[in-house]
Amino acid sequence: MYITFRIAHKDLLDFSKAKMLLVTFTVMPIMLMSLFGFMFPQAGTSNPFSGKVSSPYKNVPMALVVEDSGSFALLVADQFKEIASSTGLLEVQDFASFGAAKERIVAGGLRGVVVIPGGFTEAFNSRRQAAVLITMDDTNPTMASIIYGEASSIFMMISSRLGASLISKMESSADLSFLSEPISVERRNLVSSTTNTFQFLAPGFMALTVVTGTLSGLAAAIAREKEQGTMDGMIVAPIPRYAIVIGKTLAQTARGMIQAGVILGISILFFGVKIYGSPFLMVLTMLLGVTSFAGIGIIATSIAPEQETAMMMMMLLQFPMMFLSGVVLPIEQLPNWLQSIGKMLPLYYAADALRKVIVLSASFTDILLDVIVLIVYAAVTLGVAIPVFQKAMSR
Amino acid sequence: MEPVIETQELTKRFGGLTAVDHINLSVLKGEVFGFLGPNGAGKTTAIRMLTTLSEPSEGTATVGGYDIVTQAEQVRRIIGLVAEKLIVYPRLSAVENLMFFGELYGLSRRQLKDRVENLLRMVQLEQFRDMPVGGYSSGMRQRVNIVRGLLHDPEILFMDEPTALLDPQSIRFVRDLIKDLNHDGKTIVLTTHIMEEADELSHRIGIIDHGKIIAVDTPAGLKSKIGCETLEEVFLELTGRALRDSASNRVPMRIVMGRI
Repeated sequence: MYITFRIAHKDLLDFSKAKMLLVTFTVMPIMLMSLFGFMFPQAGTSNPFSGKVSSPYKNVPMALVVEDSGSFALLVADQFKEIASSTGLLEVQDFASFGAAKERIVAGGLRGVVVIPGGFTEAFNSRRQAAVLITMDDTNPTMASIIYGEASSIFMMISSRLGASLISKMESSADLSFLSEPISVERRNLVSSTTNTFQFLAPGFMALTVVTGTLSGLAAAIAREKEQGTMDGMIVAPIPRYAIVIGKTLAQTARGMIQAGVILGISILFFGVKIYGSPFLMVLTMLLGVTSFAGIGIIATSIAPEQETAMMMMMLLQFPMMFLSGVVLPIEQLPNWLQSIGKMLPLYYAADALRKVIVLSASFTDILLDVIVLIVYAAVTLGVAIPVFQKAMSR
Repeated sequence: MEPVIETQELTKRFGGLTAVDHINLSVLKGEVFGFLGPNGAGKTTAIRMLTTLSEPSEGTATVGGYDIVTQAEQVRRIIGLVAEKLIVYPRLSAVENLMFFGELYGLSRRQLKDRVENLLRMVQLEQFRDMPVGGYSSGMRQRVNIVRGLLHDPEILFMDEPTALLDPQSIRFVRDLIKDLNHDGKTIVLTTHIMEEADELSHRIGIIDHGKIIAVDTPAGLKSKIGCETLEEVFLELTGRALRDSASNRVPMRIVMGRI
């Protein structure tokens, strides 16, 4: 155990002496955040009322909660469902309460909730604007705002139809806003303040940096020691070989966590990102993300004949992962088969869990699925990696 | 004298290439065993197997009575390795390097502190102790590499070309150090391409070529058996004069450049 830490300590000491490397190491996450943060819009543009909605997303799962039993509320709910299914934009599911729907959002089954609140029919009957409340899954602001736009457009269609029929039998007592728009839509957020793109990007980049930093760092470190001959110095010592692997993984994890810390710090200081969830769960998720990948890194490094090949193998793994795991872009924009590949990658689960913890203040049970997937990944890959490494080191 | 290293039909294959071919060898306790052979003859591969860095494809060997495969951990405790590729981290200082490797042998930091100081004094590097090893000269780096293999006071020391690329002063220093370590009771397996060095230091010499042991004897025994004055002549007589890995004879420069 001590030896494992000693190897980790040696690696970090060695790293701390490489001045240029330290600079690059710090600048990299700053650059990533700034570039991607500005490259993508603050929030997606909502669709202007046209009766026709163009969207990259189809059949997005949305909850409908009808809290009012009045006939008008039921009529509007039916119309909403009918338009949603005929346009194929939303897949509307009935929920008994906002609370139940919210739980499903956090668990990952829904993208938003539409609530027709109590008093809706009463408001309409007494000739006041009747409000519908829409709540989105804000872990992904770009997608949330587009879907929000779609949902509200549907209500605008219903509203304008009603408006037209109302105007035809105009009543002098009605107020103007009621006449033009008898139904209005407001957005209600899951967390108290509004989210921005950085809130989406920061957790993703944290997961990405920790994971890819560890992967390529581990590959480089093992391959370099093999090449420069120092690996022999460790193998010829009476220590178990897994201690070498685990010690090196620990050192790379520490590096990755520091980089993730830099990203989080910059995001909080300069980009207005807020942490809503528990910092403990945040760290746990990142650690699990790393462990799930360490095995893959060790296997690749063990097979690769030298450092350059090891690094190229890591690039080959990392690059598609960055786009397929929903770190930079929501994977819902991808075709189904690519989405399925993305969902096979552990980074998807690490980023998803981290986002839920940071943005939605998710609890441990909310991210349980992610945690299980990551643990299974880690166990399987490390189970394969350690014997592969031992075999490779005694060639 | 009893043997401390014994190999039986020890063999290593890399794909279709047999690097070490059924060698049977014994190294006696307290001797300096000169292990000689042309480039690519299988010296380093044999040493890698004996130091547990590489597993044999066939055959067995014991080091200090322990099997190199099934009792690798015990073997590792009693051997020291001075590898041809220096085992030092260039960014770390001599002290940091030695403390790290020493701890891998289960030595406490207190124990090591004194030992590292003494060893650095022995190889005259105490005033450079905190400088990154990457900034050392080749001779200085090799001296750190040598004491790295001595940290846990091993019974058996494997030294793979310890004087390669060094200046005459450093070569002399290292040779004296080897004699000194041997006087101290250490068994030393030494590989070198400098025949006079092998002649000066070794009690017995084993010559390996194409993965096979072709001669084992004392330097004097080899010279009288083959009927040569020097060990270099013995070596060339036994292993041939043709350049390794070449199919043709040497073409003179004046022909290469078209001057003839």
